[in-house]
Amino acid sequence: MSLKPTLSVFRFSARLVRRARRTKVFVALSFLPVLLAVILQINRLASPGRGLDGLEVFGNVVMGFSLQFLVLLLSLFYGTSITADEVENKTLTYLTTRPVSKAAIILGKYAAVAVFLLLLVWTSTIIAFLILNMDRLGYGPAWAFLGKSLAALSLGTICYTALFTLIGTFLKKSVLFGLFFCFGWENVVQYFPGSTQRFTIMHYLKSLLPGIGMGGQSSGIESFLMFRLEPSSVMMAVITLLVLTVVFAWLACRIFARKEYLFDA
Amino acid sequence: MTSDGLLIRADKLGKWYGNVLGLSDVSIDIGPGITGLLGPNGAGKSTFMKLLTGQLRPSIGSVTIGGRAVWNDSEMFRRIGFCPEQDAFYEDTTGREFLTGLLSLYGFPESEVRERAERALAFVELLDDQDRLIRGYSRGMRQRLKISQAVAHEPEILILDEPLNGLDPLSKRKVIKLVKEYRTEGRTVLVSSHVLPEIEALTKSIVLVHHGKILAQGDIHYIRDLIDAHPHIVAVKTNDARGLAGRIVGEADVLSVRFDETAGAVFFETRNRDRFFDRLTRLAADQGFDVEEITSPDDNLQSVFDYLVGK
Repeated sequence: MSLKPTLSVFRFSARLVRRARRTKVFVALSFLPVLLAVILQINRLASPGRGLDGLEVFGNVVMGFSLQFLVLLLSLFYGTSITADEVENKTLTYLTTRPVSKAAIILGKYAAVAVFLLLLVWTSTIIAFLILNMDRLGYGPAWAFLGKSLAALSLGTICYTALFTLIGTFLKKSVLFGLFFCFGWENVVQYFPGSTQRFTIMHYLKSLLPGIGMGGQSSGIESFLMFRLEPSSVMMAVITLLVLTVVFAWLACRIFARKEYLFDA
Repeated sequence: MTSDGLLIRADKLGKWYGNVLGLSDVSIDIGPGITGLLGPNGAGKSTFMKLLTGQLRPSIGSVTIGGRAVWNDSEMFRRIGFCPEQDAFYEDTTGREFLTGLLSLYGFPESEVRERAERALAFVELLDDQDRLIRGYSRGMRQRLKISQAVAHEPEILILDEPLNGLDPLSKRKVIKLVKEYRTEGRTVLVSSHVLPEIEALTKSIVLVHHGKILAQGDIHYIRDLIDAHPHIVAVKTNDARGLAGRIVGEADVLSVRFDETAGAVFFETRNRDRFFDRLTRLAADQGFDVEEITSPDDNLQSVFDYLVGK
């Protein structure tokens, strides 16, 4: 498959994503970690005797919020919208009557959404990090911590977005199903002991977080994210997340190419 | 540009939506020129067009353009332009962005995308409004923008699903002019409508569709003859319904007479509506019948089709 049609769809879709009305709401939502960081930093500065570490606060609260809530919600609403919005707004015809394959439509739109979400998540995470660690910006391990956190958030974003893109291609009530999946399955099963937790994407994302997988010597995120976690190796987690992303995207393309989409009158 | 070999062909084409019939056993060849697809709402016109444009897969039979099946053949859309029925757009883009965005999907260089978009916008007389958000466009402007996205890549086959629906008379005239202009040498235009005069204004070649089947196909005179043979009901409200009926009932073209005392009306069934109206006008003038109202309750395409299928 040629890359050019996918790039054309990507450029067109990127413009539509930026212009979408929901974008303002989700940009505001994506800056909640920044707001959280501001509040926590003020609290830290107001009570210097409590010895709260900026990196620890970032890991515990900001990463917890971003990974367990923000990434899920953004991926859910934007991923499912890739097909559902076109069908609901009856604009799908404009894309499917062009000389681009249906796979190129899905991949181009997916790429546009994923890049947009990554920009949102990176921006808010980096700003929150800077706010909480402004007193130790020269501290190397802190930047490594940020780098690993961004990697986990990025893999989470592309994997969840691919999953919800897939769900959006074949389910009419995809958002409802996605909410159950995110805040039912993912949020519950990740805490199951043994290998059951490996049936969640969140398990692999948490396995990537800094401080995990180093013989249990976690650095400050255990209280929020490590409860009952039996981490996979970093290599295993990365490969699993990438494979899942590719499989979800491939299935989404296959279903989209075969399914007939009828518009409600 | 020619359309050699670009014949639209449906062969025993059928489509079901679950248990609901959309189209049944349609076999037809459509060549260059304008062809009108005429039928009441729900007749199967849109289903046929969606099958033609690869949005639906045939349940049975085949539909080909230039000998190639359309379903999942995206390259075919370099040669086809489609204007859908639904009034749907990416509302938060401008007319120009909408067109350039869609044109970029053809792989044209950026400069050509801009040129083509400008040409298409000029064609539908929207150049002055190209930088306004589509959300603010009037119904007529939206309809013309839809046509522009269908013609911007200069396809050999143009398929328009109810392009005149909901337009005011001025906008209708503009769209009719656009469609006629587009039919240059060798190009094929297929237009659907549920309103006979709209189709008549566009073409003489008509296909009648009803209940998912092709009822008749031919030029406008043949279709007109079919329709004129359809017995019409004419309701007349008058102060002397029985007196009027007595004067008219003996005429050969009057098939039946029925009274509605509460409405104060008399219903005539006639085989020749024009002659009936002539006579009625003369009687009102010469004999002094006080006619309050004349209506044709079955003067719509649905009743014509019901007649043609023998209901």
